[in-house]
Amino acid sequence: MHLIVLSFLLTLILPLLSHADLDPDFMEYKAEITLEAWLFPESPLYNGQEHNNYSIAIEPEIYSEWAEGSNLVFRPFIRLDSEDSNRSHIDIREGIYSWYGEDWESSIGIGQVFWGVTESRNLVDVINQFDAVDDPTFRTKLGQPLINATLIRDTGYYEFFILPYFRERTSPGRKGRLRQDPEFSKGTTKFEGGSQWTPELALRWSNSIGNYDVSAHSFLGYARAPSIDVQIVGGQLKYEPNYQRVRQIGGTLQKASGATIYKLEWLAKDGQKDINFRRGGYFATVLGFEHTLYSSIGDNGDLGFLMEYNFDSRHARSTDTMQDDIFVAARLTLNDSKNTEMLFASILDLDGDGQIYQLDFGRRINDSLTFGVQGAIYQNGRLGSNLYILRQDSWLEINFKQYF
Amino acid sequence: MKIFMKFIVPVIILSICNISMAIAETPEEKGLRLAIEGDLTGQGFKDILSKSEMTLRNAQGEESIRTFSSKTLEMENDGDKSIFIFHHPKDVAGTAILTFTHKSGPDDQWLYLPALKRVKRISSDNKSGAFVGSEFAYEDLSSQEVEKYTYKWIEDVPCPGDEQEMCYVSESYPEDKSSGYTKRVSWVDINEHRARKIDYYDRKDKLLKTLILSDYKQYLGKFWNAHSLKMVNHNTNKETDIVISETVYQTGLKDSDFNRQTLKRAR
Repeated sequence: MHLIVLSFLLTLILPLLSHADLDPDFMEYKAEITLEAWLFPESPLYNGQEHNNYSIAIEPEIYSEWAEGSNLVFRPFIRLDSEDSNRSHIDIREGIYSWYGEDWESSIGIGQVFWGVTESRNLVDVINQFDAVDDPTFRTKLGQPLINATLIRDTGYYEFFILPYFRERTSPGRKGRLRQDPEFSKGTTKFEGGSQWTPELALRWSNSIGNYDVSAHSFLGYARAPSIDVQIVGGQLKYEPNYQRVRQIGGTLQKASGATIYKLEWLAKDGQKDINFRRGGYFATVLGFEHTLYSSIGDNGDLGFLMEYNFDSRHARSTDTMQDDIFVAARLTLNDSKNTEMLFASILDLDGDGQIYQLDFGRRINDSLTFGVQGAIYQNGRLGSNLYILRQDSWLEINFKQYF
Repeated sequence: MKIFMKFIVPVIILSICNISMAIAETPEEKGLRLAIEGDLTGQGFKDILSKSEMTLRNAQGEESIRTFSSKTLEMENDGDKSIFIFHHPKDVAGTAILTFTHKSGPDDQWLYLPALKRVKRISSDNKSGAFVGSEFAYEDLSSQEVEKYTYKWIEDVPCPGDEQEMCYVSESYPEDKSSGYTKRVSWVDINEHRARKIDYYDRKDKLLKTLILSDYKQYLGKFWNAHSLKMVNHNTNKETDIVISETVYQTGLKDSDFNRQTLKRAR
């Protein structure tokens, strides 16, 4: 963690070097405070687990901009959880200095990068590690130390990344829910073929051609998902996270056609261990569509239908839950003054390995307060599968977010 | 006499031709001609920066406020490019929309979600959808390209709310089937081509909304800009006011200020 702080300090020095005038031309401060109740109606299955979590999360942001063409963003994050000490954590979501011209942009520091196009999950998002303990739906990411250059040409956007430091995925502690048993041991993580400081590289090209958005990337570095190394220490079973160096290529394709958007993400990866601890290559894809009936509900409400197929060539040997699954969802956007939105989703495993049902609801209470409800139900997981491990961990989250 | 033959006769002949042309002009042709003339008065603006405050009011009179700013770039051979950035309420602050309007075919539109750092393609069919919960649809606020409608002139009448001025009343019919309207009826003053009032008719050809434009200010001695827009929905009795607090013309924006990279930096 101190290394991350160190590289952040570097980002603070850079503007000092490049600006004779240190006073930014524009500054902005804001903050979000979230109060959250995370409820698990079923009793815990594993030793040490608690019933419900209550937590507070604080996320301030300082933004400065210089008119010559640069900006600095600093956005730390802290969560304090009533039960799980792993969930009480600090992260620098962003701490990044960027400078830019007409057809280029460059940044250094801790950043967040989003490449995906699909809704059920984003295979191609490889730059950032997931903050899995903070968000079991895998949307929240840890800040990633990076150096980036982006060139904007008529033929598209060319992005180059050097990632000097690898972030481990966060995972629940002994008292936390949504974990395997036993929980991951601390301080025993293995970084096969290097260390956390072994640099990683990524390249990406993307472009929009008419109503098509297309992208391709390659990545050399650690797989973001750990494999589990099973150890017996003093007669006790221990799970240790292991990360392998991988080579990966992938891409996205998206087509907007009337009220329908067709979406595709794919990747081919080599070097990652499957659940049988065997290294190998595999191919994975998410493809589907989103169709929206505009102004079809109430005064202005939009109703969207989403369907996506998730495929992983490793099938049952996959470390991912979604390897032969259909995601079907309905999204209701009321377009009212309270910005009410909800999503109901179901994920059905075509190999008979259970179903997941998800709910995501959000609504504004007043100009600086929002209310959200999220939830997931895990059903009928096959013995030994990821879903089976979570069979008692269906959850409901209720949160209030105050903006300053 | 020679002079008469050489100049006056052709002039007379020409003017007769002109009159007969004017007589022969159908309401559709006149509607199109007025639309083109109106469009011409707005041409050459290059770029505009503006800041706006929007007040949403429901039938019970409860109000909520949105603020946003926008950048628009005039394109020579295509529709305008624009970026909308929301500032208030705070939960949507930093959300931005990049639009490439096209003279023909669907527009391209991307939404930037700052919490996820995600640039998301949005379907161009959402044009009939409400703009952030207001009574304005996206298509009411997007760049108005002449090619996107067919026209019909109806009559000349005193302008609504300003009896001193004469307005032409003209109907326009959207070409795009995903539009929320069958037609718009506009009252536009003849002198300066400023729209004063627009009635919007829904897909069932029933009067849906009325927009009143006022507080016109002239920029660079040429361009007229309405600083107050009031939209009333006749179905729901909800209203939305937009007050444009700041407008700056020709700030030197370039094509390179309108792409998915700059969308992520928009504040």
